[in-house]
Amino acid sequence: MMEANVEAVKNGGRALPSDLQQTVVVAKYDIMKYLRSRRLLGILIIEALVLVLITALVGTSERPHTVDGVIEQYVGFVSILIVLGATLFGGDAIVSEYQSRTGFLLFPNPVRKSSILAGKFASSVGAMGLVLVTYYAVAIAAGLVMGDGGLSDRVFASLGLSLLYGISAMAVAFLISSIMKGSTGALILTFALFFLILNIITSLIGQLGGTKPWFMIDFAGGTLSYIMSDPYPVDTTMSFEIAPGQSFTTYLFYPEVYLSIGVMVAYAVAAMVLAYIFFRRREMAA
Amino acid sequence: MTEPIVINKLTKDFGGFMAVDDLSLTVPRRSFMGFLGPNGAGKTTTIKILTNMLSASSGEAYLNGVDVTKDPKAALANVGAVVETPEFYPFLTPRETLSYLGELRGMSRQDIERRGREVLETVKMTDWADKRIGKFSKGMKQRVAIAQAILHEPSVIILDEPTSGLDPRGMVEVREILTELKRADYTVFMSSHLLNEVQEVCTDVVLIDHGKLLRSGSVASLVGQASVRRIEVAVLQKVSGELLNKVSKLDGVTELRAAGENQFMFSLKGGVEAQSKALMDLQSIGLNVVSYKESGLALESLYMSLIKDSR
Repeated sequence: MMEANVEAVKNGGRALPSDLQQTVVVAKYDIMKYLRSRRLLGILIIEALVLVLITALVGTSERPHTVDGVIEQYVGFVSILIVLGATLFGGDAIVSEYQSRTGFLLFPNPVRKSSILAGKFASSVGAMGLVLVTYYAVAIAAGLVMGDGGLSDRVFASLGLSLLYGISAMAVAFLISSIMKGSTGALILTFALFFLILNIITSLIGQLGGTKPWFMIDFAGGTLSYIMSDPYPVDTTMSFEIAPGQSFTTYLFYPEVYLSIGVMVAYAVAAMVLAYIFFRRREMAA
Repeated sequence: MTEPIVINKLTKDFGGFMAVDDLSLTVPRRSFMGFLGPNGAGKTTTIKILTNMLSASSGEAYLNGVDVTKDPKAALANVGAVVETPEFYPFLTPRETLSYLGELRGMSRQDIERRGREVLETVKMTDWADKRIGKFSKGMKQRVAIAQAILHEPSVIILDEPTSGLDPRGMVEVREILTELKRADYTVFMSSHLLNEVQEVCTDVVLIDHGKLLRSGSVASLVGQASVRRIEVAVLQKVSGELLNKVSKLDGVTELRAAGENQFMFSLKGGVEAQSKALMDLQSIGLNVVSYKESGLALESLYMSLIKDSR
């Protein structure tokens, strides 16, 4: 076995940055990507349009509102913002390095894939956070202007749950991105998964199957809206007689907050571990 | 001191297809080594393993004494690479790209600024330093790629077909940069299938096919070993069948063919003595030789004969 040449480790007289420092560098330049890309601008434009629309609807309503009541109107759209954010910021974060061949530039550098993954994830979550915090800031401002009473802790709890749901959805998007071969496919699958597939599965398990789908990420994410309700809604079973002697039972399940926090954390951790395994094993073959 | 690149029994098996097959080679310090082989020979696969883009099925690949298959971060610390034609982040300018990669390598802001200016000057991209790369031509991107490879003044530079896909002007420009690198005392390992490029720029050469080593050594020694050369002859007479028949009977002449009204070509076994004798033989059979020269490159002749033997 040969001995390591000192030159190699010292990088021509320079010490290589630590993995954490390299993670910060990757995140910094990835954030620059979002700031200069149309994706962040696009999602902010959508956000602005939604805010204007909801503000117009709440403002023209003659019903009296509390501050929380006004904000609750806005929170209903947050799940969609999270799906859009996960799709646009995470859907092709990894696969694009392969498909657009930028990996040929990045991967021959002395930087571990864990640092690249962590840096990209941090920047994507940062972009998602910016979108969500902006949205809540406008919603809170609107609530204070148009509503009566004070701002409750439930709003901040909702923001915290939104950020957590955003992180776990982003992790799932990264997992998809580390597996898929094409950027377009990864973007479509991420969007379809959160917008359609998970909803269908959750409905089948819950409303039709009668089993509480506490383990589904979208179900757990629902806490960000339900937390605004006072009191917090409880599970309900409804039976309808559809023919003499025949009844149809449907179930309305609501996620428990602490359990849902655990589920979202578990999704985030598991998805990122799997994304790392796939990313590390993935080769720059073509 | 260990050699900067040492490959030992390296193998890459793509599900039964051996792209690299028990390959061992050493790149001497401060050499400019050409890595030659036909398409599919295993050049790019070897380079991708060296630059941590592919994993090896077995074997070792040392960069400055560190096995890249085991500790890629340390192994690549003092290496610059251009693999295939990399794409750049379109939202960054060349200067920002250099900053990004420089920061990843732990360069200080002052270092990045100074070296950034120098390398952009070297690759003649100073005027484009602050334009976003998105709309750059392939040649411009290749020049920026070379700039990032030498930014941190690495001891080893690995280049994978750096002139591939460029137009003639782009090829000349990149070749000029390669000549600059040769003067600058780097150890360069460059794959290519352009033999003129290798013969022009490289000091050493490795020939591979089917992932196996065929031959390695200095360009001068390999050119000297070329046992078959292609000779092109122009004569005053018209080239007739009878004339070609006479030529074909001369010592060492094979693969004879007419190449115009007054020209013909043939392959000749042997070195410069054989060439000199063949010229005298042509004159002795009554030909008025106007010109007599080696067609193509000696390296090409060696390459072709070795490739033919390996298939």
